[in-house]
Amino acid sequence: MAKGIGVLTAAFMTILAAMPAQADKLDDIIASGTLRCAVVLDFPPMGSRDASNNPIGFDVDYCNDLAKALGVKAEVVETPFPDRIPALVSGRVDVGVASTSDTLERAKTAGFTIPYFAFKMVVLTKDGAGIKDYASLKGKKTGSVSGTFEAIALEKDVKAWGGGTSFRGYQNQADVFLALAQGQIEATVVTSTVASAIVKEGKYKGLIMGGDAPYDIDYVALIAPRQEQGLLNYLNLFINQQVRTGRYKALYEKWIGGGEAPNLSISGVYR
Amino acid sequence: MKYTFHWLPALRALPDMLWGALVTLEVAVLSMLLGVVFAVLLALASQSRIWILRAFATSWVELARNTPALFQIYMAYFGLGSFGIYIDSFPALLAGITFNNAGYLAETFRGGMRAVPDTQMRAARSLGMGQIQAFRLIVLPQLFRVVYYPMTNQMVWAILMTSLGVVVGLNNDLTGVTQELNVRSFRTFEYFALAAVIYYLIAKTVTLSARLIAWRLFRY
Repeated sequence: MAKGIGVLTAAFMTILAAMPAQADKLDDIIASGTLRCAVVLDFPPMGSRDASNNPIGFDVDYCNDLAKALGVKAEVVETPFPDRIPALVSGRVDVGVASTSDTLERAKTAGFTIPYFAFKMVVLTKDGAGIKDYASLKGKKTGSVSGTFEAIALEKDVKAWGGGTSFRGYQNQADVFLALAQGQIEATVVTSTVASAIVKEGKYKGLIMGGDAPYDIDYVALIAPRQEQGLLNYLNLFINQQVRTGRYKALYEKWIGGGEAPNLSISGVYR
Repeated sequence: MKYTFHWLPALRALPDMLWGALVTLEVAVLSMLLGVVFAVLLALASQSRIWILRAFATSWVELARNTPALFQIYMAYFGLGSFGIYIDSFPALLAGITFNNAGYLAETFRGGMRAVPDTQMRAARSLGMGQIQAFRLIVLPQLFRVVYYPMTNQMVWAILMTSLGVVVGLNNDLTGVTQELNVRSFRTFEYFALAAVIYYLIAKTVTLSARLIAWRLFRY
């Protein structure tokens, strides 16, 4: 009998010892009671700050929804575009709700969910720069946020055009708008949502839209540490639920509005 | 931290980073040469009898030494930009660092001039040397000996300051290239580690060769 108890105790101890090793990021978030989201806050209407400096925007609401689904408190961690991965890898944040384009190159490092939003790119220019459409960027001074989807596409075309066309990469979106408003650059390519928000806001004088940029649709995904399949699985289902419960559409109308919310599926292929 | 390093793709980007390092070195060297010229003028101006020159030199030195280099470079680009003066990223960075170098070196030179006793000049003059001849043959060699090491320090500092060029859109110096590779692939740690090694090697090479030159130059 005593021997039987000994075996049972040993088995119990083994299970206890094995437990912490089983806990993954999803468990950690639920246990800690806080979901820390990396959100870019100089990228309206996805993320910005209101008059009393509180974070607002599509991505902020999306983070809050996710926290609610997980039953925890949401904590928005302001993260500039280039700092998203260091923030994720160093464990400063749990997920990135930060309009991250899902390139294959980046997927070698970070774990990507299915798309939660999709952007169309437009040219943003200054009144009087003589830029009407994408083709007239040839020979102009352009710039964008270094390393983003649109920056990579624009820089490629700038190199192909040659002949005095220049490209400058800045560290954040606010600096690009500042450089454009001041005249350091004559045009940039940004997501249509950001462009219309910036033009409507009127903080930077004289900025106008200069037509669509002929790029592929920029699908953006949530990001999490690459090996956290449990968390990524949860996030995928969460995105799916956001669409089918109509919350995605509601958020689109609240923050962007005008027309249909972008279609997040591609016909002819599974994800 | 669960992170597996991918060194192979990072090492493949090394040639691009080394070209970036060349731009970094170019900015640093140019900013030092220009900085020395401005610093000599500032050091002379600060001892001038004309108060406007003195005030100008003092405000330059005060601003350069007591505000962040980041602020100085940002002002050269976006600050001047708001007045409708557009300078490109490279000259803006160069101007910012030159401003900083000149401020620090001016104080170094002023200190150097005070370190050479007046009696040296008087002794040289009493031996029959002219004003300029005495300065060139007696004062200058002693002055140079005093300011040499602070100057090499400033050179290293200038190299490290060039990394601030990314905030004004410079994307072809070492930090610019590194940051571009980083955001494209998200392999932050590999690229930044490589960049750190390259910065270290450049700075170390500068210090060691300066010491070697000093050994040849300052023998009695």
